[in-house]
Amino acid sequence: MVSNGDEGSGADRSTAGAGGLVDRWTALDRGWQALALGLGVVAAHLVGQAL
Amino acid sequence: MTGVAEAVRAHLPGLALLAGGAVAATLVAGAVPGLQPLVVAVALGVGVGNTVGIPAVAEPGVSVDKLFLETGIVLLGAAVAVEEFLAAGPTVLGLVVAFVGGGLLFAEVVARGIFRIESPTSSLLAAGASICGVSAVVAIGRVLDARGAAITFAAATILLFDAATLVAFPLAGEWLGLTGRQFGVWAGVSMFSTGPVAAAGFAHSPEAGQWATVTKLARNSLLGGVAVAYSLAYTARSAADPGVRRLWAEFPKFLLGFLLVAAVANTGLLSPAALASIGRVSDALFALAFVGLGLSIRVDDMRAVGAAPVGAVLVHLLVVSAVALAAVRWLL
Repeated sequence: MVSNGDEGSGADRSTAGAGGLVDRWTALDRGWQALALGLGVVAAHLVGQAL
Repeated sequence: MTGVAEAVRAHLPGLALLAGGAVAATLVAGAVPGLQPLVVAVALGVGVGNTVGIPAVAEPGVSVDKLFLETGIVLLGAAVAVEEFLAAGPTVLGLVVAFVGGGLLFAEVVARGIFRIESPTSSLLAAGASICGVSAVVAIGRVLDARGAAITFAAATILLFDAATLVAFPLAGEWLGLTGRQFGVWAGVSMFSTGPVAAAGFAHSPEAGQWATVTKLARNSLLGGVAVAYSLAYTARSAADPGVRRLWAEFPKFLLGFLLVAAVANTGLLSPAALASIGRVSDALFALAFVGLGLSIRVDDMRAVGAAPVGAVLVHLLVVSAVALAAVRWLL
C-alpha cells in the first residue's frame, strides 16, 4: 500500500493502485459504502440531466 | 487492474445468483396479479437456500446483499416527501424512542424474570428485539464482550422471528385494514431486522414500505445510544469504550446518505424522470437484497434455537406489537 517512489514500472504502479483501491473499499464500513454508492447514483442522474 | 478484476471475478457468481433470483421474482410477480416482486424474491431465496443451498463459489457475491439493501435505502430518500414525514416526524420519533426504551426494559425483565435467561444473553435478545435485529445483537455483544456462542444463539433467535414476522405482519396488516402509513410505522416499531421490516412494508404497499423503512431507520439510529447505556450498565466487566466514539461507531452511516438524498430530491434539483429512474434503481437493489435475505434464512438453524429465548422474544413481540398497534391506530 505504501508507495516507494521510483521503483517499479508504470504498469506495476497501476496494479498496486487498483489493488489499493479494492483494499480501501473493502476496509470501509458498509454504511459508508452504501452512502457513497447511493450518492454516486444521484450524482450520475444530476450529471445526466445537465448534459 | 488485477485487484479490481479479481474482486469482480470472486463476486460474479453470487451476484449472478442474486440477479437471477430478482429477475425470476419480477417475472413471477408480473404473471400473478396481487403478488409483490419483493415478497417473491424473499420466497425464492428461502426456497433455493434450503434446498440447493448456496454454492461456495457464490458466497462472496451473495454476501453483498446487505450493501444492496442499505444502498437501496439511501436511494429511497429520493421517494420521500419530506413535508409529509416532517409533519408526522415528532409523533413517529416519540413512538420510536418510547418503544425502544420501553421494549429494552420489558425484554430484560421478561428474559431474566420469567424465562431465567442470564446476562448477557438476555441483553443481546433485548437489543435484537428492540433496536435493529442481528446487527444490534452483534454490536451489543461486542460492547459486553459476550461469548461467540451467546451471540450466535441470540442472533439465531432473532432470525427465526425475522422469518416468521416477515410472513405474519403483512397478513395481519391486511386483516386489520391498516392504512399504508399505519402499517409501515407499526412494522417499523415492532419487527426486528431492517431487511424484513422493509420487505414486510413493501409487501403491504409502496407507501407502507417507505414508512416502515423510515421508522426503522429512526430506530437503528438509537443503536449507538443503547450501546453506550449497556456499556455503562455493565462497567464492571466491560472493556468497552463509552462516549461519543462508541455512539459514532455504532451509528448507521447510510442513514446520513438517506437524509442527504431526501434533501437533494426535495430541493427540486432532480427532474421527475430522474426521480423515477432513481426509484427504479432502488427497487432493483431491494430485489437483489431480498433474494439474499431469503438465502440467509435457514430452517435448520432455527430448529436449534432453544425454547426459553423463543418464549422470551415471543412475549416481547406480542406485547410490543399489540401496544404499538393501539398507538398507531390512535395517533396516525
